[in-house]
Amino acid sequence: MTGRTALFRPCAIIPSRNHWRALPSIVEALRALDLAVFIIDDGSDEPAASALAAFSQADLGGGAVHRFTVNQGKGGAVIQAFHMALAGGYTHALQVDADGQHDLAALPKLLDRARRHPDALVTGVPVYDRSVPLGRAIGRWVTHIWVWIETLSFQIRDSMCGFRVYPLAAVAALLAEEGVPGRRMDFDTEIMVRLFLRGTPISDLSVSVIYPPDNTSNFDLWRDNLRITWMHTRLVFHMLANLPRVLRHRPDRLPADGAQTHWAWLAERGTGWGLRFCFACYRLLGRTGCRAVLAPIVLYFYLTGREQRQASRQFLIRAFRAKNPQERPGFLDGYRHFMSFAGRALDTFIGWTGQMAPETIQPGKVDDLQDAVADPYGALIIISHLGNADLSRALLDDATRDRLAILVHTHHAANYNKVLQEFRAAAAVNTIQVTELGPEIAVSLKERVDRGTWVVIAGDRTPVISRNRVVTTSFLGEPAPLSIGPYLLAALLDCPVYTLFCLREGDRYRLYFEKFADRIDLPRRNREEVLQAHAQRFAMRLEEYALRDPYQWYNFFDFWAPSHDAD
Amino acid sequence: MNNLQLNDLERDLKELVVRTLKLEGIEPGDIDSNEPLFNTGLGLDSIDALELGVAIRKTYGTKIETITDEVKAHFATIHSLAKFIQAQRKD
Repeated sequence: MTGRTALFRPCAIIPSRNHWRALPSIVEALRALDLAVFIIDDGSDEPAASALAAFSQADLGGGAVHRFTVNQGKGGAVIQAFHMALAGGYTHALQVDADGQHDLAALPKLLDRARRHPDALVTGVPVYDRSVPLGRAIGRWVTHIWVWIETLSFQIRDSMCGFRVYPLAAVAALLAEEGVPGRRMDFDTEIMVRLFLRGTPISDLSVSVIYPPDNTSNFDLWRDNLRITWMHTRLVFHMLANLPRVLRHRPDRLPADGAQTHWAWLAERGTGWGLRFCFACYRLLGRTGCRAVLAPIVLYFYLTGREQRQASRQFLIRAFRAKNPQERPGFLDGYRHFMSFAGRALDTFIGWTGQMAPETIQPGKVDDLQDAVADPYGALIIISHLGNADLSRALLDDATRDRLAILVHTHHAANYNKVLQEFRAAAAVNTIQVTELGPEIAVSLKERVDRGTWVVIAGDRTPVISRNRVVTTSFLGEPAPLSIGPYLLAALLDCPVYTLFCLREGDRYRLYFEKFADRIDLPRRNREEVLQAHAQRFAMRLEEYALRDPYQWYNFFDFWAPSHDAD
Repeated sequence: MNNLQLNDLERDLKELVVRTLKLEGIEPGDIDSNEPLFNTGLGLDSIDALELGVAIRKTYGTKIETITDEVKAHFATIHSLAKFIQAQRKD
């Protein structure tokens, strides 16, 4: 044993079936990085067979060409290459497809990442342009969803990209102990999921993918889709049969190059295929059908998302107790809470795409709304993550909607708007990215309010505007920290303050728009007390609406933790 | 000439501080240009710093993105604040 010192000896492997035109430039790029190259001819016909064989005379840096006279499938070819690489004493194998669709400029990045995370499988995640055919895109999304279910995790962003660096020690153990049944187009996904389930972390990098115009694909639409379906079935059973071990070995998420949320990632692809897929589902099945499809997926996340499940329970216990001291939430109440969250996401999406009938949103308590609309001067509106404040925009006329400026945390903003605009430009509103409230932003917001803008800020999360600025309030009978950001901002803007809640009631939403304060004044002498009193009044309003339907509470973090810094 | 301007600016700033922060029982003339504004001295805090930053932005057009430690150093005394505003004006 040489020990686990930073031993990193990568080589390159190229499985090829009838692809050879792009090969000279691929081999050249790999040799430029001083990698040994192993080429597997997977039963190619002429002229590819001769062209591939000719590479055995070329400089492969200690690599070799291996020919299968009978086609083995991509998996068979790659596994042969693994054995050759292992025999050559290599620690890592960089896999490149032979058809030239991988961006060779990304090679150094992939290798560098593998060097830094030698235990991880480093994979490229393709960024497609709009040229990708819809059928192919939907197929990819079906696979994404399956993989999330199989791994009970969102860690694998793409399982189908053949541009990756394998840690050979983990691969050797997998091949020896369980093997990889999928040998064809199902191979790339299956080996990744199986490695992940055994505890190999996945690290990914965005890479561009080129669809060469004259590309001959070896993808057989029906046979390969059938194989892929069978593979997913197999993996789900494999995962369930090994559940205790799988959960024990769950690899930690590796630090990414940039922070990203799930939604941000959906949007990042530029094309928003994920949302289009959801959209197609909704068109086909409607809300009820979509919820039925979501139900088992939500159940998986309910069972595996311990942190969110605990947060849900902490909230429901207090909310139930406030209504009836004897009542305690059970297992199904938590699931119902999660399903409600999925339903909210669905409604937001339906709202975005303009599919929601305007009468879906009904006025509840909106007398103050008329005053605010009539006032040419702007206002500050405090919203929350209870119900679906997003949807209330549907009830506003265009002129009023144009007055909105929503304060969002910087790194959430860009993508959210991008997706929104793609689906319905009219629904997109002004968002203002703010990390911390400083004089510059305060002055520019004040100028906008003077001209009539309604500035919207969340009152139940801490990060926007008011880092470290919280006061302790009483919420559902226990001390909870609440942000003073909204009240501080209100004082600086010197404008009327309203609260807005939009809650689902049956198959409708009801809007509640109420005056919170004409002005907020912060006298120096008892400023802390005044800020605390405003936060407490908001906490009470929030509590009142939360108790109407506790399942619409969408803060899935410990709300009572001394200082929550929710993302 | 320059010193004269700085003196004027310091006097104006003292008034601005008293007016903006509604300091009770303190006249602009009571503030020493080299007296610490925050914590000890006048006892201002981070919310005061924000309000003061807004007032300075409105009055003198001085750009202050957020109240960083560096900005806080400029806000230490009336004198340092005046020099900071003067330096920003020249750019």
